[in-house]
Amino acid sequence: MDVRSQISMVFHLDKCIGCHTCSIACKNIWTDRKGTEYMWWNNVETKPGTGYPTKWEDQEKYKGGWENVKGKLKLRSTGKAKIIFNIFHNPHMPSMNDYYEPWTYKYETLFNAPEGTDQPTALPISMVTGKYMDIEAGPNWDDDLSGSPIYAENDPNLSALTPEQKSQLFAIQRLVFFYFPRICNHCLNPACVASCPSGALYKRGEDGIVLIDQERCRGWRSCVAACPYKKSYYNWSTGKSEKCILCFPRIESGQAPACFHSCVGRIRYLGVLLYDADKIEEVAKKSDTELVEAQRSMILDPFDPEVIQAALENGIHEQVITAAQNSPVYKFVKIWKIALPPHIEFRTLPMLFYVPPLLPVMSSFNGDTIKNMGEGFFPDFDKARAPIEFFGKLFAAGNNSKIRYVLKKQMAVRTYRRAVTVGDIEMDLAKKMLREADCSVEEAEAIYKLTSLCTFNDRFVIPPAHREEAIEMLRDPLEYKQSAGFGFREEPKRGS
Amino acid sequence: MALKNHSGILFKVSIIVALFHIPLFSQDVVQYFKTNCASCHTIGGGRLTGPDLKNVTQRQSREWLVKWILDPEGILNSGDPYALKLQKESRGAIMRRTPGINQDLANALLNLIDEESKKEKSQFAGTRLSDRPLLPGDIEEGRKLFTGQKALINGGPSCIGCHHVNSFNGILGGGRLGPNLTRAYARLQGRKGLSAWLIAPPGLTMSPVFKEHPLDEKEILPLVAFLKNETEKDAPQSSALMINFILFGLGGVVVLLVLFDLIWSRRFKGVRQALLKESKQIFYSKR
Repeated sequence: MDVRSQISMVFHLDKCIGCHTCSIACKNIWTDRKGTEYMWWNNVETKPGTGYPTKWEDQEKYKGGWENVKGKLKLRSTGKAKIIFNIFHNPHMPSMNDYYEPWTYKYETLFNAPEGTDQPTALPISMVTGKYMDIEAGPNWDDDLSGSPIYAENDPNLSALTPEQKSQLFAIQRLVFFYFPRICNHCLNPACVASCPSGALYKRGEDGIVLIDQERCRGWRSCVAACPYKKSYYNWSTGKSEKCILCFPRIESGQAPACFHSCVGRIRYLGVLLYDADKIEEVAKKSDTELVEAQRSMILDPFDPEVIQAALENGIHEQVITAAQNSPVYKFVKIWKIALPPHIEFRTLPMLFYVPPLLPVMSSFNGDTIKNMGEGFFPDFDKARAPIEFFGKLFAAGNNSKIRYVLKKQMAVRTYRRAVTVGDIEMDLAKKMLREADCSVEEAEAIYKLTSLCTFNDRFVIPPAHREEAIEMLRDPLEYKQSAGFGFREEPKRGS
Repeated sequence: MALKNHSGILFKVSIIVALFHIPLFSQDVVQYFKTNCASCHTIGGGRLTGPDLKNVTQRQSREWLVKWILDPEGILNSGDPYALKLQKESRGAIMRRTPGINQDLANALLNLIDEESKKEKSQFAGTRLSDRPLLPGDIEEGRKLFTGQKALINGGPSCIGCHHVNSFNGILGGGRLGPNLTRAYARLQGRKGLSAWLIAPPGLTMSPVFKEHPLDEKEILPLVAFLKNETEKDAPQSSALMINFILFGLGGVVVLLVLFDLIWSRRFKGVRQALLKESKQIFYSKR
């Protein structure tokens, strides 16, 4: 058992209102520099939709992630032999056309325009070329456009649906969509790290944050091609690649990352998970349907004395173990089993989990009358507008029973709470539903509390960073003791 | 210090190497004369393109001859009257500086000429080729050798690789690397001069190529016959050929591009634009 700690995340999609505050918070802090205008380390997509970059989930096109070739894990995009033929150019990378051309507006034209019959307008200017441009696409171009025949209908996840389900999904007045906020998943088996020819990417030992060393990066862009989530971006100004750093300077000082901190719907949870690193390869080789369960089995119980002992031996600080015990992520993923990894079939073992949205249909408009669906207060989720298969493709690699379990439990908790607070549902019925959903009354209360009444400290259980311990692995922290904070991180470049 | 010692040894070695490279030995000089001089000069065999060299040292001072061998063009440009006379006698043909020539080698060559001049019949007295008249069949045979339809016996490259004659009307014609040979027969003053040239082609480009793979005696007369025929026809240069050449090149580029496009037709070409196009097509086909 090789116990390691990982800062992990849960996004509760039922709570996401698609306001993009997270994206803006991230952009303002990290990616408003030259060369990064087009990057959105955090972005929010409308599902069904093609996302950003367009159709990133389609690995037939982008060749991201791993595949299991005859019992061996191989990167789809590159390898020791493949890279020789593609040494000057990674062939399967999104272009600016697939992201979007970033733009700003020439606002002075609003004020300087000569008097005329039309309203003056601010003309769009490309932030790459500085010339006037026609805006053709944006990072959330298909925002709220679930019915669009271009973007929504081409969502790769729709391939799991029957044509009938598909036509129902897109029927007028039955349109359905939900929001899908995405950041770097800080995977356990990151394809970006494996693909880098310069060894510039690394997964931090103490908290599992995946980073690109800006000094070692040589701009090969292998990580851009290899990441199946397309969360590594090339900065055309510096010639280096960049990605979400999970606001590690904030984490180290005990603050939640900016996108978490600013989240209006409070959908984001962050906490430590302990996992067994010995199992990574074995788990990543499992068949698609086994993957969700296999990844869950890697996550260790932080209360188990054996695990605690092994963790301490591996240099994990007591306070990190305590944080793991209080981790909201551990509850969502391992105890309640209602948070699932996105597209685990890419086999990078993402450590950002999603609670799938219920999206219940309350009623449908039928001619002049509004018809209430279902027998109970909430309709059966099999009749919900977003088919289980869609979620199955997105969050469970096609294993729909996992989705069914999550939705059933969420529905049961809602029914139970309705019975408690409003009382128009019989408590016996609610409890029966809880039993059927593998959920005790205590668990239902806990889920309800962490979902609806969660405070800042409930959502974000950030362990003390103990950088002094992490840095001991690389250099002597007493080296600079006498210099009272003075000294050079990099040696000055003058004659020796 | 170590470096100095080292460079001393290097210096000695380089001198030894240099000594072996300068053909001071008579056999080397003979070979040098054969490959570089004999195509234009004989010793006691009458003039070819250049004058007969028999007793040349009696006609001119040795000093002048060495200078001439080392830099013929320089002396011609300086307006030396004897040099201009030579040029006139050879109908405007200019002697070229031969590859690898130097003062010692020039002297050695003059010694060799002196020695050969004393002999009754010098080994450089003239071509060993038969004097049989050129036959009509020779022209056709020569054309085949020139164009490479018939390979050269000793494995040398066919003429067409570098040379063109105006009567060729194919898409590409002959090569453009070497000079146009339409009037080569006249330039080299007929059968004798041309044959001498062909026995050991001189010049920086041809001599290294044909040194190891000389033309066979049987091949020389047909080539002479062919080139003679070309000179007699003296066809004008076809301008269509140049246009064809450019068009053929452009066509080739297009064919290659199409081929590459087909071979890598499944390459990644971006996603969003294709999506827009496809969706628009579907949308309009439904209406």
